[in-house]
Amino acid sequence: MKKKSQGVGGTNWPVTILLILGCLTVFFPLYMAVIIAFKQPSEMTNDIAGALSFPSTWSFSNFAEAMRVTDFWNSLGNSLLITVAAVILSLIIHSLAGYAIGRNMGNSRFYKFSYLYIVSGMFVPFAILMMPLVKQTSQMGIGNWVGVIILYVVFYMPMNLLLYSGYLKNIPLALEEAAKVDGASTWRTYWSIIFPVMKPMHATVAVLTALGTWNDVMTPLVIMSGTGKNTLPLAQLNFQTQFGTNYNLAFASYLLALIPILIFYLVCQKQILNGVVNGAVK
Amino acid sequence: MMDKAKGNERKRTFMLITIPILILFFLFNTLPLLKGFYYSFTNFKGYGSYDFVGLRNFIDLFQDARVGRSYIFTFKFALVSTVIVNVISLILALGLNSKIRAKSALRGIYFIPNILGGLVVGYIFSFIFTYILPTVGQKLGIGFLSSSMLASTKAAWFAIVIVASWQSIAMNTIIYISGLQTVPEDVYEAGSIDGATGWTKFKSLTFPLIIPFFTINMVLCMKNFLMVFDQIMALTKGGPAQSTESISYLIYRNGMDGGQFGFQSANAVLFFVVIVVISVAQLSFMNKKEEQL
Amino acid sequence: MRGKLAVAAGCGALLLGTSLLFSGCGDSGKTSDGKTRIEMVQYKPEAVKAFEALEQKFNETHDDIELTIESPNEAMTILKTRFIKEDQPDIIGIGGDINYSNFLDSDMLQDISDFDGLADIKQAYLDIAKNLEFIPEEGTYAVPYVANAAGVLYNREMFEENGWEIPTTWTEFIELLDTIQASGQRPLYFGFKDTWTCLAPWNAMAVDLAPPDVCQQVNRGETTFTEQYREVAEKILQLLPYAQEDPYAYSYNDACTAFARGESAMYCIGSYAVPQILSVNPEMDIDSFVFPASDNAEDNVLNSGIDLLFSVMEDCENKEAAYEVLRFLLEDENIQIYLDDQNAVPCKEGDFTLPSMLDGVKSYVEEGKMLDYHDHYYPTEMAVDAMIQTFLMDGDVDAYLEKFDTDWVRYNRDLIRKVQEYQEENPGAAEGGNES
Repeated sequence: MKKKSQGVGGTNWPVTILLILGCLTVFFPLYMAVIIAFKQPSEMTNDIAGALSFPSTWSFSNFAEAMRVTDFWNSLGNSLLITVAAVILSLIIHSLAGYAIGRNMGNSRFYKFSYLYIVSGMFVPFAILMMPLVKQTSQMGIGNWVGVIILYVVFYMPMNLLLYSGYLKNIPLALEEAAKVDGASTWRTYWSIIFPVMKPMHATVAVLTALGTWNDVMTPLVIMSGTGKNTLPLAQLNFQTQFGTNYNLAFASYLLALIPILIFYLVCQKQILNGVVNGAVK
Repeated sequence: MMDKAKGNERKRTFMLITIPILILFFLFNTLPLLKGFYYSFTNFKGYGSYDFVGLRNFIDLFQDARVGRSYIFTFKFALVSTVIVNVISLILALGLNSKIRAKSALRGIYFIPNILGGLVVGYIFSFIFTYILPTVGQKLGIGFLSSSMLASTKAAWFAIVIVASWQSIAMNTIIYISGLQTVPEDVYEAGSIDGATGWTKFKSLTFPLIIPFFTINMVLCMKNFLMVFDQIMALTKGGPAQSTESISYLIYRNGMDGGQFGFQSANAVLFFVVIVVISVAQLSFMNKKEEQL
Repeated sequence: MRGKLAVAAGCGALLLGTSLLFSGCGDSGKTSDGKTRIEMVQYKPEAVKAFEALEQKFNETHDDIELTIESPNEAMTILKTRFIKEDQPDIIGIGGDINYSNFLDSDMLQDISDFDGLADIKQAYLDIAKNLEFIPEEGTYAVPYVANAAGVLYNREMFEENGWEIPTTWTEFIELLDTIQASGQRPLYFGFKDTWTCLAPWNAMAVDLAPPDVCQQVNRGETTFTEQYREVAEKILQLLPYAQEDPYAYSYNDACTAFARGESAMYCIGSYAVPQILSVNPEMDIDSFVFPASDNAEDNVLNSGIDLLFSVMEDCENKEAAYEVLRFLLEDENIQIYLDDQNAVPCKEGDFTLPSMLDGVKSYVEEGKMLDYHDHYYPTEMAVDAMIQTFLMDGDVDAYLEKFDTDWVRYNRDLIRKVQEYQEENPGAAEGGNES
């Protein structure tokens, strides 16, 4: 088990130090983003020293103003609703798809075809689907957040099918066969054995799907137009107009929007690590 | 092995799962795609009335230098980025998966680039490329750095490679990390006993086991980079001198903002066919590789 | 087995069944208490405060009409998607550019020539709106509301300190640029990384040097751009040595910041950039002058286009109520509410307070010596802005003009065919479409 092997080598200090140094590539841009979020528009300059200097006062007024402009709690609520629903549905539907298709594509033309059919959907540019989808969702009466959730489930299906079926290749059939000998149905076996075993992949899928939906502008913009509901990225468009951008408020708002998804990632990545596959399978 | 009744039950279950999913996918992906295909034979602007123009859009596609340039840019960009991202994220994943301190914090930090929105990335990297790097370049006397990469038709594509890689490494790293979780510890332990270390251990023990994840990452890189849009929007908007217009960018700009919906639908159809051909070839190649191992 | 079906049914219900619950509620054009409902969408989110004030004021003073004004972000995308959904608002407020031309060409707007408010609109702006029609249409389809102007913004303080004079001809302008440069200061700053800013000097010079209806003339096959735009192209190249090195590295935002920080004396851009500049330096004293591209001072006209116009959509059922809204918006005090908020130029005749940065061009506005931005006739997908940027980088006038002509034909193929069919049907109408 994990804990035991940890004892063998101890901390790998060279790698730790290299990784910490590598963090600078993240910290430097992040530092710029943070100080800009605290500055006033009149403190913006084009010279490097000025741009990297601290703001004259550390006041949270930009954050408060950004929250007011974006109607933060409402927009956040809508974003959360859409993202959480899309992620949960994706985990259920896509893992099933990955199981059914992934387990059979090796010996059945139908499943092989289904796999290629769905995965190739990844390469359809959204721009070509957009206009027809706007019309279609509106005719079906789902030109609102419900439509947006359904579209996300479909948009992320190719990627997630790829991920799940790829992961299943490393999960031996023997695992299910044992359950089958006990008389459990395929459906039961799936939920009691396969679904839990794919936990690290669930976490990965959840992170990737959440990330994509959380930041997406175009889908809610075109599908939800005219419903008067905003998601956070839609509300953030307020900071950019044709002839002027308020970077300070925008950055404050982006940093606020970053926090929930970062927390979600940190929670999920623990799941990626605590995968039960290790040792339990082979 | 399983008896006949069990086999049938299993088959039926798989069908019952697959059919509704295929229907759902057809409804919201294939159906609108077919409509887009239909529009590719028209001069539809995206609204209002339109006429059929036959194959004119497709004939134009092959004569349009701007479309041609966007294909060259896109493929060059995708190829270079895919290599860079896969190499770095595999190294990063191995590092983050090894016995290090502050594991969670480090993993969290490396994930941040992936979440920053386009406006932030665009502003900050434009500042770095326009002001900071040229100053550094001039101080150190590095010729190619002393003027903004984003303003050079020769270098701007590479600036986008840098930023796009910076952003997508996080995602590929996660996938490699989750792949590394499927490598049983005892494989390592057995390897250690045999005296396999470092590169040999990776090449002969770890890598073969995470090949499925390598495939996934190759495909996802292809998707992200061949369809690159956000970074171009944020950094260059296709400039300078239209040297960084990707296919997706062109389809979006001219199809949505401009009145070329019909023509760009034709472009999207062509693009789709090209990618599907490439990825089917790639996938069957990778699958063969996996089976060999 | 039962569990499986339940989950499958559950998923199906979740995904498809919801459509029944959320089927759109029809908009009958009347509210529950019998008021006529008028919905307006306008495309300038930065003016949301002014429109919220106007909306409130309207609803307080009108018992029979309920007005809602929306100022969404990315309004053009939203409008186009709403057209697809067949969910048109009653009134749209958009810019006087190619989008208007396209909407009109797609038969989406109503003829409003019987609207009494049109009588007070400056003829110059009615002409500009008329010229936006691809094919001369019967009737009127737009109420020009406010305009913006482009030329050269200058730092009044720097000019006064150094005793620089406002130029009125091209020769004087070049002399001024030389004087400023000789004094060790930077005359101009460009933000050509954002390609659209290349259009600002281009338009301002083109109105002085090329015929205002050059695009229509080309569509009718009467002239070429190579002929009409050569002087513009040659002169715009001459500006480059007076700006910072490598202007393609700097964005619109960089240029606004640089100008606000006194790094250049002038900035060739429109009045629309003033708020962004003032956000960096609220104290700055900015004025503007008409771009003097011609050596004949009389030929130099103000580059001004319609920034916001109102049109009544084809699907609007209550035209009279829509007119009432337009009448209200055109009342002098209501126009002033907008002007104070947005530094704009009104399209209506009358005594309005103009923002101070337009002092230098006021006389042109009053005399109506104004011509529209040429790029309002360029199709977006032709990307003339990027063509100009390419041309400025390589400096090849001939190649640029040749490309302009060939690309024009390629991107306007359907339009040219329509125009020429129209010509054949109406042989005398060649000049009729363009009063100017």
